[in-house]
Amino acid sequence: MNAPDRFTLFVLDEGEAPVEVNEDTKIPNAATIKILKQDHTLGNMLRAQLLSMPQVLFAGYKVPHPLHPYFLLKIQTDGSIAPDLLLSEACNQLIGTLASLEGKFKREFAFKEADGAGLGATGVGGAGHGGAAFATSDDPYGTGAGTGGTASWGNRDDYLDF
Amino acid sequence: MNDPILRIRKYERDRVNFVLENVDMAFANSLRRVMMADLPTVAIDIVEIQANTTVLPDEFISHRLGMIPLVSSNCDVAMRYTRDCNCFENCAFCSIILVLNVKCHDSTTMDVTSNHLEVVPHEDQGMEEAGEEQVKRIEKFGSPVGKNEPGVEPILICKIRKGQELKLKCIVKKGIAKEHAKWSPCSAVSFEYDPHNKLRHTSYWFETDERAEWPLGENAAEEEAPREGEPFDFNAKPSKFYFDVETDGSLGAQEVVMKVRIIVSFLSF
Repeated sequence: MNAPDRFTLFVLDEGEAPVEVNEDTKIPNAATIKILKQDHTLGNMLRAQLLSMPQVLFAGYKVPHPLHPYFLLKIQTDGSIAPDLLLSEACNQLIGTLASLEGKFKREFAFKEADGAGLGATGVGGAGHGGAAFATSDDPYGTGAGTGGTASWGNRDDYLDF
Repeated sequence: MNDPILRIRKYERDRVNFVLENVDMAFANSLRRVMMADLPTVAIDIVEIQANTTVLPDEFISHRLGMIPLVSSNCDVAMRYTRDCNCFENCAFCSIILVLNVKCHDSTTMDVTSNHLEVVPHEDQGMEEAGEEQVKRIEKFGSPVGKNEPGVEPILICKIRKGQELKLKCIVKKGIAKEHAKWSPCSAVSFEYDPHNKLRHTSYWFETDERAEWPLGENAAEEEAPREGEPFDFNAKPSKFYFDVETDGSLGAQEVVMKVRIIVSFLSF
């Protein structure tokens, strides 16, 4: 009844900002960044990318509660760059890696398609294997023994014979 | 910047097996998570039952209908989410209608299968011009995967006897698997790294002999086996990942793998 729409777990509300940056007051060059409507998919990937960068002293993320659709990313840098700028740099690097991966997939698929012409035959056809054998032996009413199959129960007068 | 190395080992219409190298474990795992949960497909979401005299209750049949994979190629541009659509309830832009109307007149048991589901146009469709979304749809868009194709066993929905009937209207919507697993294009994604357990990310339970009781998988041939008495390298990081993506047919394996670019949209805030 008052359940929220399921898509509110991954779609931003109207006017909602996807990112909130809170600079840490007690730790130098540190910020806690709240990223809304995202989960471990992005959080872990960003954390790992940040840790691979030399300017980073600390990077970690947490999802405070599994029912709350956001995560917190804490970054501390060595002071040569602000944490939020570093995060956007990390994002750009990841986008670059993804683009490069996409290009490689395209190339590999093109190669595979060139030398595998009979692809369609091996595709979905495999999904139905074994089904046919099963269907023929399938006799849910157990009437197959005497009268040779499924016609047996319908031969007498049936209350459904209108 | 590290550049991923990719090798596709096996590629069929509904499955692809590949090895990804030179990336971080977090990156590879995000790839897996995105393929499973973030790619939009279409699935039956609302069922209006007009007549059901079968042995199965309405909700049982509705649930079974929802699980049927429907052809969803190019679905991210060929269809709108109902929440983004400006229609009142659902329209030709954000939904597809499937009907099923079967009655058994034979004295044998009849199978109601996914082959009985027919795509029908919306009542208002045709009056206005087809929008840009509809143009991008392929012919079979929204109909059950493998319908009336030779060699593909249809999906059994229910069995009916003489005099029983099932008549219903299904409204197909676009969604992602974070909302309901029926929208996942993947039926299985296998993900493995470090087949020799050199990194000791797991410890094997065994009775007497670990090696005999835990035979190596086929991916073990890709990597060098550890030498006897080799010291443990605690700085080592996994860098070679073995994927096997199997789809339910709603999207082709190639389409699933190519769409991982959707992560870019997460990153572009």
